[in-house]
Amino acid sequence: MIAYLGLYRQFILRALNREKLRSAITVLGISLGVAVAIAIRLANTSALDSFRAATDAVAGETSIQITGTAGRFDEMLLADLGWLRKYGQVSPVITGYAMIELGAKGSGTSPDDERVNRGPFLQVLGVDVLRDRLLRRYRLVRVNENGSEPTTRELLMLLADPISVVLTEQFARRYNISIGNRIVLLIADSRREFVVRGLLLDEGPARALQGNFALMDIAAAQIAFNRIGLLDRFDLKLKHGLDVNIAEAEIESSLPQGLKVTRPETGYGQIEKMIAAFQFNLGALGSIALLVGLFLIYNTVSISVITRREEIGALRAVGASRAMVLALFLGEALLLTIIGTVIGLGLGMLMASTAVRITATTVETFYIAAAATETVARQVLGAAEISLAFAVALPLALVAAAVPAVEASRVRPIEAMRGADRLEKAFKPSRKHFVMSSLLFALGYVFTLFDPVGGLPLFGYAAAIALTFGGAFLVPNLLWLASGIGKRWFAHLFRATGVEVKLAGSNLRAAIPRVSISVAALSVALAMMVAISIMIGSFRETVTYWVAETMVADVYAGPVSRGGASGEGEISDESIAVSKADPQIAAVYPFSTQQLTYQGEPITVGAGDFEIFLKHGRLLFKSPADARDRIREAIGRDLVTVNESFSLRFKKRVGDFVELPTASGTHGFTIAAIYYDYSSSRGWVVMDQSTYVRYFPYSRPTSMSLYLKPGADAMEVSDRLSRAVSGSSQVLFATSGALRHEVMRIFDSTFTITYALEVIAIAIAALGVISTLITLILERRREIALLSFLGATRHQIRRMIVIEALLIGGVSQILGVAIGLLLSLVLIYVINVQSFGWTIQFHVPLWFLIQSTLLTLAVTAVAALYPAARAARVEAHRFAREE
Amino acid sequence: MRENRTRTASEPDSLTRSDSKLARPTPSRNTSIVERSFESNLPILVVNNVHRIYDGGGRAVAALRGVSFEAEPGDFIALMGPSGCGKSSLLHIVGAMDRPTHGHVSLGGVSFDSLDEEALAQLRRKKIGFVFQFFNLLPTLTVAENVALPLILDGVRQSPAGRLTDEILGRVGLADRAAHFPAELSGGEMQRAAVARAVITRPDLILADEPTGNLDSDNGTEVMNLLAELNRELGLSIILATHSPDAARYAKRAIRMQDGLIEEPA
Repeated sequence: MIAYLGLYRQFILRALNREKLRSAITVLGISLGVAVAIAIRLANTSALDSFRAATDAVAGETSIQITGTAGRFDEMLLADLGWLRKYGQVSPVITGYAMIELGAKGSGTSPDDERVNRGPFLQVLGVDVLRDRLLRRYRLVRVNENGSEPTTRELLMLLADPISVVLTEQFARRYNISIGNRIVLLIADSRREFVVRGLLLDEGPARALQGNFALMDIAAAQIAFNRIGLLDRFDLKLKHGLDVNIAEAEIESSLPQGLKVTRPETGYGQIEKMIAAFQFNLGALGSIALLVGLFLIYNTVSISVITRREEIGALRAVGASRAMVLALFLGEALLLTIIGTVIGLGLGMLMASTAVRITATTVETFYIAAAATETVARQVLGAAEISLAFAVALPLALVAAAVPAVEASRVRPIEAMRGADRLEKAFKPSRKHFVMSSLLFALGYVFTLFDPVGGLPLFGYAAAIALTFGGAFLVPNLLWLASGIGKRWFAHLFRATGVEVKLAGSNLRAAIPRVSISVAALSVALAMMVAISIMIGSFRETVTYWVAETMVADVYAGPVSRGGASGEGEISDESIAVSKADPQIAAVYPFSTQQLTYQGEPITVGAGDFEIFLKHGRLLFKSPADARDRIREAIGRDLVTVNESFSLRFKKRVGDFVELPTASGTHGFTIAAIYYDYSSSRGWVVMDQSTYVRYFPYSRPTSMSLYLKPGADAMEVSDRLSRAVSGSSQVLFATSGALRHEVMRIFDSTFTITYALEVIAIAIAALGVISTLITLILERRREIALLSFLGATRHQIRRMIVIEALLIGGVSQILGVAIGLLLSLVLIYVINVQSFGWTIQFHVPLWFLIQSTLLTLAVTAVAALYPAARAARVEAHRFAREE
Repeated sequence: MRENRTRTASEPDSLTRSDSKLARPTPSRNTSIVERSFESNLPILVVNNVHRIYDGGGRAVAALRGVSFEAEPGDFIALMGPSGCGKSSLLHIVGAMDRPTHGHVSLGGVSFDSLDEEALAQLRRKKIGFVFQFFNLLPTLTVAENVALPLILDGVRQSPAGRLTDEILGRVGLADRAAHFPAELSGGEMQRAAVARAVITRPDLILADEPTGNLDSDNGTEVMNLLAELNRELGLSIILATHSPDAARYAKRAIRMQDGLIEEPA
C-alpha cells in the first residue's frame, strides 16, 4: 500500500499536474455532467417536496379524509355521520384557490382596467373553527396581550363575519397588508372583497406554500366559492390508540353511497405517480450529460495509457506487477471523478434554481396547481444527493476506466526495450465492429416491442441505449472511410489546401484507435440533440395541426383564478347568460370538469352539450376516424369519449366499459370514441351534459367556448363581454388566436430545459475532442517538427490540424444524425407514447439539421484552434536535435 | 566527467564490502520462490536450447533458433551481432520479459518455466537490473525516485531506501542531481541514473541493451567504465547487447549471434 501511494503520487499525480489542461478538461466534463444530474434531481424533488410539505402542513393531524366519490357532496350528509365521532374529531372543510388582486388593497375599488392585476394564488381553507382547532394549529399575531394562542372564542369572533379572512404574517409582510385592510380576492370568476381580521404566525398550515394561505369560516367559504349547502370533505383526527388501517376499513364499509375514505397522503401519491414519467424522462436526459462526462474518463485514461506505454513498460521491467499498474490507472480515474463530482455537486446546486424555474412551468401547467408549486430550489445538498452522486459516478468511472486500465496492465515490459514495436498497429476496417453494430441495432429493435414497466418506458430507454452503442461501434470504420475520402477526393477538390487535407487524412487514419472514443462521445451527444429536436419538432407540428383543427371556437372563456393544472374555478350562470345574450354570438358551449380517481390515478371527467359540439365544434378522432355519428348516439346516454392517454394508460378501446365513481355510486359507461388530445397527459372522459348532470350534480362549468355569427369580430366581442361581466365576475375572454399563441408558448417553454441539457452534453463532448487533439499533437510533435523542418509554414500546420478536426466533426455529425433519426423514432413511437399517451406525427426538421451540421463543424473547428496554435509552435530544430 | 569519477573514487567504497549497506535490504513483506540463495560456483544463468518464433502476419518468423549458453557469477558478456540477429529477443527472454517458444532459462537455479506473471515481475524486481538504450527513466519521477523505484516496489521502507539511493547516487556521481527530473539531465547523466536504478537491489544479473547507443563517446566511455567497475567491484554479472566494438571491449568475453544462433560460443 505504501509502495502504491508513493508511486501513485510520483507516477499519476505528477503526470496529471503536468497535463493540467487535459486534467482540467476532464474534471470540468465530469463536473458538468454531475451538476446537470444533481440540478435535475433537485428540481424534480423540490416540486414534489413543496407539494408534499404543503399537503402535510394543511392536513395537520388529519389521519383520514372523507370525500365524495364524485367530488363535492351535500352537507346534509353530516347529519347521518354522527357515528364517526366514536373514531375521533370530525371537521368539515371547504378548500380551493383564490387569487389576490394586487393594487386593490384597502381601497376596495374595482378598477375598470380590463386587464386584471393578477397576484399570487392563495390556498383557502374554509373550516368550522370550533371543530377544526382540534386538528390544526393556528397561532395569531397580536390577538391578545400575552401573545399566547387565541382562544376559540377569539378565533370565532375574528371569522364571524362572512367577509372576514385571516392571512399569514409572511404573506402580509410580503404584500404590505395590515390587519383591518380590505383585500380583493378572485374566486372562480367572482371578485369579492374581504377584510383581513388577523394574521397567522408562520407555523402549521400557515407555513405551507410560502405563506400563500388564507383561512375563512366555513360558511363564508361556501358563499365565496359558491358552494352553499356543499362540502369538499371531512377531515378526521383519529382517537389516540386507534389503528388507522382498521378505522379506515370500518369507516369505508359504513359510509353511505357517494362518500369514500382517503388519506391525506393519497393526493401526494397520485401526483407523484402522474409526474413520474415526466421526471423519469427528464432524469434520463440529464444522465446523458453524466454519461458523456464519463466518456471523458475513458478518453483521458486511454490517452494516458497510450501515451505512456513506454513508461508503463519500464515500470513493468523494473518489477511492477500487473495489479499495481491496473490500480494506478484506476486510481487516476477515481481521483478525476472525485474532484469532478465535488465540483459538480456545488455547480449542481447553483444550476438547481434555474432548473427549478424552467421545470416549474411544465409541472404547473400539466400536473400540480400553480398555488402548490411556488417552489424554491433547496439551497443545501442533502446526504441523499451527495451519496447518490458518488454512488453513481464512482462505479461508472471505474467501469469507464477499466478497459484502458486493463490494457495498461497488459503492457509488456519489452515495450520499454529497444526494438520493441513502438508504433501502434494501423487500424483496418473490421468486420467485428460491423457485426457488433448490427447485433446491437437488432437488440434495440426487439426492446421497442416491450410494454412499459410500471408506467415507465424502461425498455424504450434500453432500446435507445442499444441503438446508441450500435452506432458507436461504427465509428472506427467510418473514420477509416472518412480519412480515405478526405485524402483522395477532398484533396483534389480543394487544390489550394490539398497537401494539408492529405496530411490531415493520413494523420486521422493513423490515429483511429485514439480518436474513436472522442468521436463516439460527440456522436452520441449529437445524436441525442438530433433525436430530441426531431421529437420536439414533430410534436410541435402535430400540436400546431391539432390546435388548428380543434380550436375552432372564436372566443374562449375561463375564470381568471383558474390556475394551470388545478382545474379549479367555475363560471357562474350569470356569465354564461351574459354571453348567450350577446347579439353576435351564435352558440355558447359551456364545459364542465370534475377531477376523479380511476384505478388509483387521477383523471378528469368533462362534459359539454354534444348537440352544440356537433354543430360547431371539432375534435381529431383516433378511433373511429369520423366519430360524429357516435357522438350523436351518446347524447343523453351512458356513452363517453375518452382521450388517447386514457385509452393507452388503461388499455381501453372503443366499445370497452369504464366504471366511474359518481355521486350515486359506481356507474358503468361505454366508450364510443377515442380522440387525440395534447393538452394533458392525464386521462380524460368526456360525456354529454345531459348525462353528466345525472351523475355529477354538483359540478358547474369551468370554461366555455363561444361561436360567433358570421361577420362578427372576435376581438370586439371578447372586449365587450369582458366589460359586461366585469362588475362582479372576472372571466378571462381570449380570442382563439391569442389562446393558440398561449398554447404554443407553453409548449416551447416546456422544452426549454431539454435544449439546455443537450447543449451541455455537446459542450462536454466538445471538451473531449479538444483533449484528444491536444494529445495527438503532443504525440506527433516529432512529425510536426519534421514537417516544419521540411518547410511547412505555421499556417499550413495550423490548417492541417483544423482540417483534421473538421473531419472528426463531420464524421461525428453524420453518425449523430443517423443515430439521432433512429432514436427519434424510439422517442416518438415508444417512449413518448408509453410515458404520456400522445401519438406524434413524424416530421424531419430539415432546416434544423442543416443548421446543426454547420454549427458542429464550426464548433469542432473552433475547438481545434488552440491545439492548432500549439502545433504551430513546435519548432523545427526539435526534430534536428532529437535526430 | 573526470570530476565526477574522482569524487566517487574518493568516497568510502561500501559497495565492495560484504557488510555493505548495499547488501540486500530486508523487504517489508515475505518474498517467494525467487528469494533463493545459490552456490557461487554454479552458473548464475543457464540458457538452454531457446527458440523464439514470432507470428509475422501469418508467417512464422524464427528470431532465436536454439540458443544455449551459461554465465558465471561475475561474468561480463558482450552479446554482439548485426541488427535482426536475435540479440534483443534473447535479452528479452533472459530478462524474464518474454517467454521462449521452446527451451528453458534459469537464473540462480530458479527456472523461469515455473514462474507465473506475478513471480516473473518479482524476479525482475529482485534479481535482474536493466539498462536501456533510451534510459527509460520515468519522466514524472525525480532521479532519486527513479533509482529507488525497484526498492519501493519491493516494499522497502522510505528511509532505508533513501539511504541506499543516496549512497548509490554518490557512487555514480549524481548526488547533486538527486532532486532533478530526468528531463533536466544530460544523456550521460540519465544513463548513469539508469545504471544506479539497475544495481540498487544488487541483482544477480544486469542486462544492458545498447547502453551507449544514444550517447556521445565521452559519455559512452563513462557509462561503460561504470558498468565495468560495478562488475569488478561488486561481482555483478552483466550481459551487454551492443553493436559497438568499443563497448564490447569492456566485457570479459563476447557471444556473437547470426540469424538466431550463437556463432562462436565463448
